[in-house]
Amino acid sequence: MDRNQISKWFKNPGKMANKYSFHVVYFCTGCGIIEIPPSITTRWDAERFGIIPVATPRQANLFLITGYVSTKTLKAIIRTYEQMPEPKYTVAFGSCPINGGMYYDSYNTITSLDKYIPVDGYIAGCMPRPEAIFIGVTHLWKLIDMDKADGYKRYRRDYKFYRANQEQLFKELGWPPLFKDASL
Amino acid sequence: MRELELFFGPQHLGMVGNFSITLKVEGDRILKADANPGFLHRGFEKLMENRTWMQNFPLVCRINVVEPDHMELIYSMAVEKLAGIEVPERGKFIRSIYCEMARVGSHLFGLWAYANMLGFDTVAHWAMYHRDLLLDLFEELTGARVYHIYLRPGGVRRDFPDGFTDRLVETLHKIGGKVPDYNATFFENSIFKKRAEGIGTVTREEAIRMGAVGHTIKATGMKYDIRKIEPYDAYDQVDFDIPVRTGGDAYSRLLTIRDDMIESVHMIFKLIDKMPKSGEVYTKTPNPFKWTIPEGEAYVRCESSRGELGLYIVSNGGEKPYRVHFNTPSYNHGLTVLEKALVGESVSDVGNIMISLYVVAPEIDR
Amino acid sequence: MEELKKKLLAYFTDLTIQIHDDYRMCINTQKETVVSLLNYLKNMGYEHFALLSCIDWIDKGEFELIYILSAYMEVCDKYQEKEQGIIIIKARISRDDAKVISVINVFENAEPYERELHEMFGIKFEGHPRLTPLMLEREYEIPPFRKDFDTLKYVDNTFGKIPSIEERKANYERT
Repeated sequence: MDRNQISKWFKNPGKMANKYSFHVVYFCTGCGIIEIPPSITTRWDAERFGIIPVATPRQANLFLITGYVSTKTLKAIIRTYEQMPEPKYTVAFGSCPINGGMYYDSYNTITSLDKYIPVDGYIAGCMPRPEAIFIGVTHLWKLIDMDKADGYKRYRRDYKFYRANQEQLFKELGWPPLFKDASL
Repeated sequence: MRELELFFGPQHLGMVGNFSITLKVEGDRILKADANPGFLHRGFEKLMENRTWMQNFPLVCRINVVEPDHMELIYSMAVEKLAGIEVPERGKFIRSIYCEMARVGSHLFGLWAYANMLGFDTVAHWAMYHRDLLLDLFEELTGARVYHIYLRPGGVRRDFPDGFTDRLVETLHKIGGKVPDYNATFFENSIFKKRAEGIGTVTREEAIRMGAVGHTIKATGMKYDIRKIEPYDAYDQVDFDIPVRTGGDAYSRLLTIRDDMIESVHMIFKLIDKMPKSGEVYTKTPNPFKWTIPEGEAYVRCESSRGELGLYIVSNGGEKPYRVHFNTPSYNHGLTVLEKALVGESVSDVGNIMISLYVVAPEIDR
Repeated sequence: MEELKKKLLAYFTDLTIQIHDDYRMCINTQKETVVSLLNYLKNMGYEHFALLSCIDWIDKGEFELIYILSAYMEVCDKYQEKEQGIIIIKARISRDDAKVISVINVFENAEPYERELHEMFGIKFEGHPRLTPLMLEREYEIPPFRKDFDTLKYVDNTFGKIPSIEERKANYERT
C-alpha cells in the first residue's frame, strides 16, 4: 500500500474498504462475460485489484453489465440491482448498453441502459480486453474517491423516475417499489 | 413431501450463461424441468435480413460467444455455395487449422466451466490459462481476442504470418504436456468420478429420438461426425479418428470432449505437415457494397465443437439474404435433451448436467 | 437417392421431387401430406430431424415451411459408399390463415422449433401441447419475423420514446 493512502484510510475507512473489495455479482448478462474468466484467473488475476465474484447479489457491491441487454434480461438486472446492498456500483461493458451498439435496430434489446438503472461507468470496446476492465475499475476508484460514483444515491433520489421508465417499458413490473414515494 | 417450484437462473452460481430453468422439485429430486431461454435473444435472423452479405459477418460471429469461428465458417460456406465460389487449396488448410484451434479453445473453456462449477479450481485455472495462450495466437493471426472475423467467402482474410505454425506447434505441445496433469487431477480423480458417473444418462435410443448431436451422441457409442460424413475444407485430406464412449452419462461425455481435444491437436499437426507451402489463400469476391448473389437456397452443415451446426439460407437475388436460419446444436440439447435428462436427478447436479451437455445460452436464443 | 425418389413417387401422389448434385433432395408437397411423409421417411432411416424453418413470401401471401431431415450415420471405413443425404421438405400455407398440424408425434425434438415459429411468425400448430412464449418477453402486434415488421420503426416507437431520467425530471418539475 502506498504511504500517502494511510491518511485516506483514517479519514474515511468505509469508503476505502469498499473501494478495495469489489464483490462482483455472478450474473452473465451478455457476451462480455467471456472475458471475465481470463481476468479472474491466473493470467490477469483480478484479485490484485480486490475483485472477486460472489454468488449472490446480497453480498455484492459491483455489478458488471457485460454487453447488450435484452428486455427479458433487463427485468432480471433490475431485480438483481435492487437486491444489492448500498453502496453499489454499476459498470457497463461495450457499446451496446450505451446506445444499442450493433443491435441498434433489434426489437428485443434496449438502446440505452441508463434510462432504467443508474450506470457509474462504461468500458468501451467489443469485447473490452481484461486490461480495459482493470483500467475501468481503477478509474472507478478515482470516482469513488471524488464521490462521483453516486449511482446508488441517484437511484434513491430519482427512484420514481426510474420506476416510471421501467413501468413504461414493461407495463407491469410484478414486484413492489423498492423505496417509498415511488409514483410520479 | 411437498412439491416446490424452483427458479434456477439466470442469476445463479451453477448456471453458465444467461439461461433459466424452472424446476419442479420434491425434496431434492427433480420431477419436471422447463427450460426458459430468451434472455439473450437479439433476433439475429431478422437483423441479418437488413444487412448486406458482407455486413453480416460481425453479427454472425456473435451468435456463439465461446466459439465464434464455426459460425463464421458456416456462413462463409453458405455464401460460397450460393454464389459458387471455390476456396483455394492453401485457404482450405488454413481454415481447417483455424477451426481446430477454435475447437481446442472452446473445449478448454468448457473444461473451465465444468471444473469451476464443481469446485476444481486448480484445473479451472489451468484450462483458462491454456485457452489464453491460444487466444494470443488468435490475436497474432487476426488482431482480436474473441471475435476474430477471419474467414470470408472464398477463403481467409490473410495468410499466416511468418513462423506462425512453429509458434502454434510450440503452444500446442505446451498444452499437450499438461494432459497427464489434467488426467491426474481431474479426469481420473475419484472425487470427480463420483460426481459425474451415472449422472444425466442419455441412452442411444433417447439420443436418436431427441435429435442429439455432438458429444451427447458420441458418448453413446455412435461415430456421428460431419467432418467425416460430409467432409468440408481440408478434412477429407487428413486422417483422423472420432473418439467415442459407451456410457452415455456426464462422465463419458466429458471424456469424449477430452479425447476430441487431443485428437484436434493431433489433427493440427497433420494439417500443418500436409499444407501447401505457398499459394493463394482467398478467391477474389466482388465489391461488397454491390454484391448480389443469385437466387437460390442452401443448407450447409459443419461440425462445431458442440456438434452438428447447420445453416439454412435463402437468397432472392438481392444484396441481402432473404431468410437465414441457424440450426445450432445447443438448441436441441438445451431445450429437448436437457429437459428430459434432468428428470429424476438431484438439484445439485443441474449445472453439472447442463455443462456436460455443452449448452451455450446465446446459441439457443440467437 | 434415386431409389428413394422412386419409392416416394409410388407411395405418395402429390409430390414434386428434385435431386441436387450435393445429396440434397427437395420435396415439394401439401401441408396435409407432411406428417405421413415424415413418418414414412423416418421409417426409411432418416431419423434426424435437423431443422424446422419458415420463410415469409409476403408477395405471394404465403408461408413456406421447411422440414430438414438427415440420417444418423455410423461412420465406418466405407463411409463414402453409403448413401447419405439431406431431405428438404417444403409445404406452403396461407399467410392469413396460418395453421398446420404439429409433427411432435413423429419427431419429439420438433417441439421447441414449433414453439419458436408460433412466436416469431404467428403460425398455429394444431396439437402442440404448450404454445407459450419461448424467447420473447414483450407482446408484439405483428410477430417480429414477418416481413412486414419494421424493426427500426419499432425501436424508435418503443425504446426511443422512453425519456432519459434528466428529461423526465425536467418534465416533472415543469408541471
